[in-house]
Amino acid sequence: MGGILTHQRGGRRWWISVGLLGLLFVVLALILPLAIVVQRSFDAGFGNFADALASASFIRSIGNTATLAVTVTLSSAVIGYPYAYAMARSGPALSKILMTALMLSFWTSLLVRSYAWQVLLNDTGLINQLLRASGIIDEPLQLIRTPMATLIGMTHILVPFTILAIYAQLRGISPDLAIAARGLGATRARAFWSVTFPLSIPGLAAGSLLVFVLTLGFYITPQLLGGAGNQVIGQSIVEQTNALLNTGVGSAMAVLLLLAVIVILAIASRFLGLGRVLGIATEGKSS
Amino acid sequence: MNTGWTVRILGVVIAILLVVPTIVICATAFTSGSSVTFPPDGFSFRWIDEVLGDRRWMRAFGNSFAVGLLSALFAMLAGTALALGAARAKGAMASVFTAVSVLPMILPLVVGAIGFYLVYARLGLTGNVLGLALAHGVLGLPYVFVNVLALLRTLDPRIEEAARVHGAGQFVTLLTVTLPMIAPATIVGGLLAFISSWDEVVVAVFLSDARFQTLPVLMYGQIRSGVEPSVSAVALIVTVVTFAIALIVFAIGPIRARLAQRSSR
Repeated sequence: MGGILTHQRGGRRWWISVGLLGLLFVVLALILPLAIVVQRSFDAGFGNFADALASASFIRSIGNTATLAVTVTLSSAVIGYPYAYAMARSGPALSKILMTALMLSFWTSLLVRSYAWQVLLNDTGLINQLLRASGIIDEPLQLIRTPMATLIGMTHILVPFTILAIYAQLRGISPDLAIAARGLGATRARAFWSVTFPLSIPGLAAGSLLVFVLTLGFYITPQLLGGAGNQVIGQSIVEQTNALLNTGVGSAMAVLLLLAVIVILAIASRFLGLGRVLGIATEGKSS
Repeated sequence: MNTGWTVRILGVVIAILLVVPTIVICATAFTSGSSVTFPPDGFSFRWIDEVLGDRRWMRAFGNSFAVGLLSALFAMLAGTALALGAARAKGAMASVFTAVSVLPMILPLVVGAIGFYLVYARLGLTGNVLGLALAHGVLGLPYVFVNVLALLRTLDPRIEEAARVHGAGQFVTLLTVTLPMIAPATIVGGLLAFISSWDEVVVAVFLSDARFQTLPVLMYGQIRSGVEPSVSAVALIVTVVTFAIALIVFAIGPIRARLAQRSSR
């Protein structure tokens, strides 16, 4: 027995050293650069932070980003829930079609999808063509370079995260529960709202949290679809570092953004468990 | 119990909305006209041919491919090492390994991009394959980590114990028993890391210059300066490569649920 114990203790040290090799890579390739960003943000004491927070355009971009994150999260939940529900609770044929459509969209690159929405929302794009053909409007609607365009593009890009989180949760809820409720006299709607829906909330919450946090860091989609007046935090940061060559203030903004993401995840993980949000905890049973 | 008709119809309508952008881009790539319109004017391979014959696009294609391969390699090596550490070191170090592997998932790309730029520029790691591959490697590492960790949890520890009992050292056991067993997960993670590098724009923009550009960087520049159907043709090529790799990933394993684990930022 002693032999096995020492074997395990020695084993532990071995696995730590294996892990350390990977850790070394992350430290050099990522943590060091992040540390430099933090250092650069403080190169004028708190001056860079003061400058950042004194900038009206940065404050406006915080407001725009918060609005965008809330609206994208809500629209993803509203669109994603019925989709996940149809995927989890309808026959195998429809389920498969819905899953394939989801994957086709999900695997199309973010840049390609942002570009596609630019093409679709153009003055001469499909949406305006359809609206004009149906006689709803005479002049093309200004759809591109509006907050609405960003909202549409971002929701399209992020809704798969909500769908997959809700779907995973719904798959874990036995359909028998709702059947039992119906058997006891509940209507279909009542069975859903008092049995299935409450049980699916953890999936909905995890997916929504992920979408919310991911939205905070977006840059490409707002840049291609949004207007000049709807700048988000990501655009403010790039503007400071690239256009104004002010890496100090840019770094301060980046630190604030990273801090916001970490705080939100830390608070949420007390209720949800971070592993669930990031898809690590559910891994064990999925294979 | 099946769903009602309303939910099913809603599902189909949303499914159409989900795939429309992909279809529109693929369709506009085959236009014979000279502007990006949908429905396209006629059908031709004109723009695909133009892109395939264009030196700049092809060089960017090669750059993207090289960066993708090298970054996948970095991600596979580091991600597997961290997953082994996280699954087996136990205690505080295991938590450190997990935290570090999850960090790239939640890190806003703009924040990472500035950091990479500040450090890599000083080391001569901008404007070349190696620098961008290091950055993309670390960003793609979570895909390998998550997949390998999940597989490690399902392994029977007695297999490795058997190797040890029969006299194999720790290193030999790792190399000849453990790594071959987790290889499918490492490869799936590597393919996902390749794809995440293949279509990443923000970090790539920061680490590229006029002489070294990847496909998404060049595409992004074109979209901003004025669109012509060649952009759609490139988008089609980018998408076809991604889908081909996705099919390989699906084919490799019962690891289906984890396909979902791809970030879009």
